[in-house]
Amino acid sequence: MSQQLDRAKQLQGELVKQYYKQVRETVERGGKVAYCFVMANPIELLKVFDIAPIYPEITSLQISYRGGAPPLIGLSEEFGYSTDCCGYVKMGVATVLNNGQTSIGYIPTPDLAMLTYSGCQIYIHWWEQYQYLRGTPVFTIDIPYVRDYDGHIPRHDIRYVAGQLEELIPKLEQFTGKRFDEEKLREIIRLSAEAWDLWRRCLETGKLKPSPIDAYFEAIYYMSAITLIRGSRECVDFYRFLLDELMARYEQGVGPTPEERFRLVFEGVPNYPFFSRFWGLFRGWNARCVAATYPKVAGIIDMGAFSLNPDKPIESLAEYMIHAYCNWNMISRANLIQRYVREYEADGVVIHSIKSCRSFSMGHGDIREYLIKDLDVPALHIESDHVDPRYYSEAQLKNRVDAFFESLSIRKGV
Amino acid sequence: MARFYVAGVDAGSTYTKAALVDDEGKLVATAVLMTGVRIIEAARRAYEEVLNKAGISRDDVRYLVGTGYGRYNITFGNTQITEISCHAKGAHYLFPGTRTVLDMGGQDTKAIRINERGEVVDFCMNDKCAAGTGRFIEGAAKALGLSLKEVGELSLKGKKPVKISSTCAVFAETETMEQLAWGNSIEDVLYGVHSSMATRSIGLLRRVGIEPELTFTGGVSLNPGMVKCLEEQLGMKINTSPLTMFCGAIGAALFGLEKLKSKPVTTASGVRM
Ligand SMILES: Nc1ncnc2c1ncn2[C@@H]1O[C@H](COP(=O)(O)OP(=O)(O)OP(=O)(O)O)[C@@H](O)[C@H]1O
Ligand code: SF4
Ligand SMILES: [Mg+2]
Repeated sequence: MSQQLDRAKQLQGELVKQYYKQVRETVERGGKVAYCFVMANPIELLKVFDIAPIYPEITSLQISYRGGAPPLIGLSEEFGYSTDCCGYVKMGVATVLNNGQTSIGYIPTPDLAMLTYSGCQIYIHWWEQYQYLRGTPVFTIDIPYVRDYDGHIPRHDIRYVAGQLEELIPKLEQFTGKRFDEEKLREIIRLSAEAWDLWRRCLETGKLKPSPIDAYFEAIYYMSAITLIRGSRECVDFYRFLLDELMARYEQGVGPTPEERFRLVFEGVPNYPFFSRFWGLFRGWNARCVAATYPKVAGIIDMGAFSLNPDKPIESLAEYMIHAYCNWNMISRANLIQRYVREYEADGVVIHSIKSCRSFSMGHGDIREYLIKDLDVPALHIESDHVDPRYYSEAQLKNRVDAFFESLSIRKGV
Repeated sequence: MARFYVAGVDAGSTYTKAALVDDEGKLVATAVLMTGVRIIEAARRAYEEVLNKAGISRDDVRYLVGTGYGRYNITFGNTQITEISCHAKGAHYLFPGTRTVLDMGGQDTKAIRINERGEVVDFCMNDKCAAGTGRFIEGAAKALGLSLKEVGELSLKGKKPVKISSTCAVFAETETMEQLAWGNSIEDVLYGVHSSMATRSIGLLRRVGIEPELTFTGGVSLNPGMVKCLEEQLGMKINTSPLTMFCGAIGAALFGLEKLKSKPVTTASGVRM
């Protein structure tokens, strides 16, 4: 593929740099820094108060992607964390233990910890660790699990979260000394909604044949904008650019691999320390991921799960917060994967579990069995970790991945 | 006399196996030796040995397929295929009624479901840890100063299997000594070792579904103690033979033959050969 049609990745790199610059500028202006989770954060509301978000999950994966995880993980393990504890937690804690010094530069420490408690139980203890270490105030929003198997959420669940957001507003006013500006919130939500919609359309290009996007390995680059800078004009522009690029790829018949021999659905968090080699295990077989669940951790944007609405800012924000991927029950998640297989006409499913995370890896063995035995969909289940390089063993992964493709080739007759 | 031959070399983590088939897919010879640290050296020597046994030269071999963990080290071969596909094919060759394969090697245990053509439908492997693999039996044998052949045979004399809860390969020796220190007989301890490994493998097999016939392959299939424990716990007969250890190499050779007969073979680099 020509460099011409692979510019969005560079562009997102620049946006990430700009985002860190903006966080630092906010600090210099006397604005506050909030540590936020990727899942279910009400960033639109924090922005109204000129609060800049840091996402320790994202900084951890960025550090890990560049090989910098071991010293931070080591620091937390010396501090007392067990090897079994999630690598994100250990890296996030170590960043603060280290006063923000990391291998990718200075990461501002938190003025407040925005705890959106959804899906992952460790979230609470992680944020409380900051409170313990630095007296950081923790603002908590409790988010009910999606319990219905068809993904439906009852009105009172939405009210429950919206009520907490309404209580949060005066707290934030007090904390920042700024008045709440509802008009500003509507404008930010309008921009967010526009970006979400464009991002959904980008991901749905995976339905085209051949797919112009790798909706997992490439989407992992592209998704940084929706997480880090949504609610801004730059974010909307970025996804418009991406959508154009993807459509141009499709028209010119190019894509992320020289040809498209296999169409996959991918479930699970990637391996960051060896990201490119990990991708290579699949790319080498000319396999393209046409749909994936992970790029929707921050919000299941397709399937009509939620949409942000500037006319109902608080309610629609609450609804969005409930639809984080790990906040969905297992049956709904299995059904989502099944729908992807059907709607994106995939040949098989790859499930990557990570040692760190129960929240994501829970039920993976059962999902594999369900796909194979009940639906006759080929599925491969492999395991490593998202940030800890100690859990990556390439020869073993390659063995499984190669065997999977060998049998897919026979099945497909290619 | 065959017009040509096709070879398969299985560079496993413990043993390197080679097999030779003729132009009609008939097995002609096999060879085995320890893999050691020099994978390519072992592969070369196993290959030479199988040629010697068959009394033919390299020029008579038209195609060579490498398999096993060390398959990418077999640079003198034509292509590589995973041992999962190869064991499936080899097991189907020896026992055409096979629908489920259990391959127990030195560091991996693999459960494979295949169709009536010997093609892989599903597979599961032990996770990264080598607990409950051939390495554990090796450790137990070392602790007792016995050969691999002896441990299997002695275990058959056991009356009551000692419960072994940890089949960690690293602690195999300590675990075995510990059980003996408790006053258990060697026979009962070995019966326990095989029995707990069988339980673990059956768990893996259940994940792909156990459909008869079940063929037991890999080096551990030569161990009569293991065969007995599996049959006892499964309540069914399983297929093994002195050749099941070579299923990977046999399957590799047969894939090579298919390739020569121009059925497409797909390799890891995505190249259709
Ligand atoms: N003669 C024998 N009698 C009993 N057991 C044996 C014998 N020879 C080998 N084994 C067993 O077989 C194991 C090795 O099997 P095999 O050669 O299939 O492994 P491998 O292919 O090298 O390993 P892997 O497939 O895990 O990479 C040894 O650990 C040992 O337990
Ligand atoms: S356990 Fe999973 S969901 Fe929780 S912090 Fe770690 S990676 Fe995130
Ligand atoms: Mg083997």
